[in-house]
Formats: sequence, C-alpha cells, structure tokens
Amino acid sequence: MLNARSQLSPAASTMVELAGVSKNYGPVNALLPVDLTIAKGEFVTLLGPSGSGKSTLLNLIAGMITPSAGRIVIDGRDATAMPTNKRGLGMVFQNYALMPHMTVFENIAFPLQVRHMSRAEIRERVEKVLDLIQLRHVADRRPKALSGGQQQRISLARCIVYNPALILMDEPLGALDKNLREQMQLEIKRLHAELGITMLYVTHDQDEALTMSDRIVLMNSGRIEQQGPPEQLYFEPTTVFAAQFIGSSNILVGDVMDQAGGTAIRTSVGTFPVRTAAHDFAAGQRAALLVRPENLRLVDEGTALPNIAGQIEDSIVMGGVIRHFVRCADKSVIIVQELNQPGLPRPQRGSLVRAGWSTAHGRLLPPAPSAEGTQG
Amino acid sequence: MTGAPSFGIDRRGVSVVAWSCYLFLLLPSLIVIPISFGNPGEIQFPPRQFSLALYRQFFSDPAWWGSLLESLGVALATTIASLCLAVPAAYALSRSRLAGRALLRGLFMMPMLVPVVVLGLGLYLQYSDWGLLDTSAGLVLAHVTLAVPFIMVSVMSGLAHADVALETVALIMGASRLRIFFRVVLPQLSSAIAVGALFAFLTSLDEVVVAYFVTGTSTMTLPVKMYSAIRWELSPVIAAVSTLLTVVSLSIALGIIALQRPTEANS
Repeated sequence: MLNARSQLSPAASTMVELAGVSKNYGPVNALLPVDLTIAKGEFVTLLGPSGSGKSTLLNLIAGMITPSAGRIVIDGRDATAMPTNKRGLGMVFQNYALMPHMTVFENIAFPLQVRHMSRAEIRERVEKVLDLIQLRHVADRRPKALSGGQQQRISLARCIVYNPALILMDEPLGALDKNLREQMQLEIKRLHAELGITMLYVTHDQDEALTMSDRIVLMNSGRIEQQGPPEQLYFEPTTVFAAQFIGSSNILVGDVMDQAGGTAIRTSVGTFPVRTAAHDFAAGQRAALLVRPENLRLVDEGTALPNIAGQIEDSIVMGGVIRHFVRCADKSVIIVQELNQPGLPRPQRGSLVRAGWSTAHGRLLPPAPSAEGTQG
Repeated sequence: MTGAPSFGIDRRGVSVVAWSCYLFLLLPSLIVIPISFGNPGEIQFPPRQFSLALYRQFFSDPAWWGSLLESLGVALATTIASLCLAVPAAYALSRSRLAGRALLRGLFMMPMLVPVVVLGLGLYLQYSDWGLLDTSAGLVLAHVTLAVPFIMVSVMSGLAHADVALETVALIMGASRLRIFFRVVLPQLSSAIAVGALFAFLTSLDEVVVAYFVTGTSTMTLPVKMYSAIRWELSPVIAAVSTLLTVVSLSIALGIIALQRPTEANS
C-alpha cells in the first residue's frame, strides 16, 4: 500500500512531513531529530512507553509547542511556525474535551461556526455526522448526560464534521473499559476506512496499535526506534526494545561465532545455529537471539531442532493457548506457548523438558545496551 | 465527626463558645433592626412603640434617598467597570506565559494590602489635581481599584478549575483566541464571575473611607451620609438605613453562597 503511494508525486500523496524535527527543553532532549512522513488516508500510530517522545511529537504537529529545529509540512504548507488554529487539524482527547455548556448538536456545530458556514449547512452536516455515528437521538442532550463511549464518539464526530487534514488522537480510549475499548477500536477503524481520513493515533497499548494501524511508529527515549506495518514490527523487529515492547519474547544474549554449516550464537544455556541470511553480524560480536514464545515448543530429547533444557516452573492455560514457564540452567526463564487442545497432556511442575525451535524462527538482533542476560 | 479526637473538650461546650462569638459579633448589627422600627424621636432599645416613621422619614428626604441612589449607581458602575478590567486580566494572567506574570498579579492584588486610609489620601491629592474630586466618575475609579482584586481572585480560581483541554481543542478546531474567550472560557466562568461581581458590588456599596475623601455634597454615598449623620445630627434615621443596608448586604452574601455551592459540587 505504501509502495503504491510512494510512486505518486510526494506533494499529492503526503499529508504530513517532518524533517529533522527535534525538541529540547534546555539540556533535556524531549525529542531527538526525527524524520517522519504520513501519507494521505494513512492510519499511523505512535506507540511507546510514557516519556518516549510520542506526546511531544503529537504536540509539535498540533502546534502546541514549537520545534527546536527542523521543518513541519502539513498538507503541502510549511506549518513549522504556523499557529495551531491555522493548521486545519482535528484532535480527540482521552477526556473527550466536549464543551459542558453546549448540547451535543452545538458541540459538533462549533467548528462549522468557526468556519462561518450557514445555519442550514451546519444543520445538514451535523445531522449527517450524527447519523454516521448513530447518535442522532442524543443531539439535544448535554455531553455529561452521556456514557464515556458515546462522548468519545461525539468527540470524533466533532472532528469528522469539518473534514480536517489530519485527526490527532491522544490515547482516546484510555478512559474506557476493555469491551468498550475494543468496540471503539472497530468503530474508529470503520470510520477511517469509510471516510479515508488521515489519522495519527497515540497510544502506549501495543494491542491497540497492532489492531488499528496501517503503520506503527515505535518510539523510545525521544527517537523513532522502528517503523513499519504491524506485521513487520511483530515479525521483524530490529532491536531488542522493539521485540520486547510488541508481543512477548524470549531473548538469549551471547557471542556470534562461525561453525561448520553456518553462523551460531554461543549463550550461557547453549550454542545455537542462527539463520545466516538477514543479519550482518561478524564472528565474535555480542548479539541477542529472539525467539517468540509461540515459535517454541516442547520437544523430545533426540530432536534435531536447536533446543534448551530446563525445568517446568509453571504452566498456565489462557483459554486457547497454554504457556509453559521453563527455568533454564542459568536460572533465566523462557516462555513456551502452545495451542491448547482438549486432552493435551500438561507437564508436571518440576519435570525436565526441552524447548525447541526451528532455526528459521530465531532472529538475531544487536544486544540491548543494558539488557545483558535479561529475558522478557 | 465520629472519629474526630475530642481532646477532652465537650462538643457542646465548643459550640456554646462558637455561638457566643457569633452573637458578640452580630448583636450590635442586629440590635439596630428593632430600633429602626421604634419611635422617631429617640434611639432606644428595646423600642417602646412600633412604627415605620423612620423609614418614612428616610424615603421622604431627598438627601437620604439621593445618597442611596448615588451609592447604587456607583456600585453598579464599579461592578461593570471592574468586570471589564479584571476578567480579561485574570484570563491573560492564568493562561499566558508572559514574563513578569507574578509581578503583575501582585500589582493587581496590591489594593487589598494598602491601608484604605492611605489609598484615600493618595486619591484625594491626585484627584484634586485632575479635577476628579466630588465626581461620580472619580469615586467609581477609586472603587474599581478596590473591587478588581475580588473579581481577580474569584475568576482565577474559576479558571484553575476550568478544563484547559477545552481551549486547546477549540484552538485546534480553528477558533480564534477571541472566539475561544467568549464561547468557551466565559460560559465556564459564569458562576465565578457572578460571585466576583457581587463581591465588587458589595465592596463599593459598603465602602466609606475612600468615599469620605473623594466625595463631596453632590456625590455623597449612603455610608458617607450615615457617617456624617452620626457626627453632626445623630438622627435615628440611620437605624432604618443600617437595617436596609444589612438586608441588601445579607441578600448579596446569601447569593454568593448559593452560587458557590454548585461550583464546588462540580469540581
């Protein structure tokens, strides 16, 4: 999808472009120089822990703060020094930010009044968007009389109604309970697909990011750690941080070495062959081997697969899957996730097992700066 | 209440002390009420006969009701002028990142700290140069300096409770600062503004020291007229005037309490 777009001229397909944008408060770097492009109609998620710079990036695009360096272009116009109210954006907040002194109708009409539309046009547009979110019947109520989910839909409708270049969403579902959150994720996805709006979504919730995004921009300590479609971030993380932040992971740290038949990594729990392609590690380098829990399985002793011996510490049934926690010789714990089936024999606590994986499922990463020997 | 330590003091004992203090403070004001319904020839408590003669006297003497009208007019003008000045100032001071914000805030609050006698004397000297002595405009100006801090305090606390995200979202939606002020900020401040306005009105209505310095015979306000009545004629009419003023002040104070209650419930 992205490749198809990039063949168009950049001006026509790009909604937001950040070039070398950074923000520092005195000696503190809130955001290191960042380059980021958002295509028209794209759903991009800024994902990261708190303090990773995702909110700073959002506020820079919204114009709530000015960048220390770099250039911001929104919809073909240089917006670096443009005031917030001239940028043509929309924003959805976690706490809805609906005007308590206005009815639902008046709330949604507000941005249209700002744009000096006629009464008749305002009425038509507001009613259309209320139909779209199926909340026509609450038009005359005050926001405080509505549920959290309804308020957030109104807040979204208030953006959609004036067709902004980009809708910014700052943890919009953070205040809702789990079921409602999942419903709203689907609703936002539906509206995005139907209306083709460009959206920039900020969250610290990896599931939300994986569910909704065309592209995830993973942030860590004020810079972009990795970006790409959800599958790419999940299956091809480029750093230990990315591997650990998205999905669960087993990380084995060791030294890269050459051996008969290819490259291997020597760790404290054994020496394992690794894929020779798709990495550029020289023998003797430190590296981390990532194996996802669902790519590990309990194997017999005579197996040809690379494997680690250990003792079952616990087995937890999580509905459709079962997770084994295996303590290895070096006291670290690795997680093995298998599909659960009726009648599947569950290993006894304390029994000796082997967790094996196919070499193709191991992924070699540069070691995390301070993650020597840790498991996640 | 049940878990509060008693320190060995009987709770009833505490309330007896508290009520005694209230009565000590209130009785002198309350005692004028029965007096005001007494015999117009004397100031006596308790009054020996009931009559409305003092009120009749008050409303039939243009010197009295004229000064009442002057007081009400000055208080109204003071309230409006102070609102126009203090509400935008409070907004600017609490939302901007202006340098010297704390200093400006301090300056606005200063009239609360300066002794009113000093203020009155200063204004007297300055006004005599400017020809503002014995003018309603001069008195309004003087009262505005006294009333502004009350509105500032009330509105700033209202702004502290108001959600900044509403202003941010309006700004992102493209609204101008002016539209945000009138459509988003002001409606949220309505009760804070009303409370501040009532305080301002009351401040001006009751103010006697500064008014004594800057008013003359043509602009005499009710408190000034009462003060001179005590000094020069000792007319029992002031009992009726005091009662009227007490009723007005009390209803304004009750209004303030009623307005403050829903704001607290909201926050």
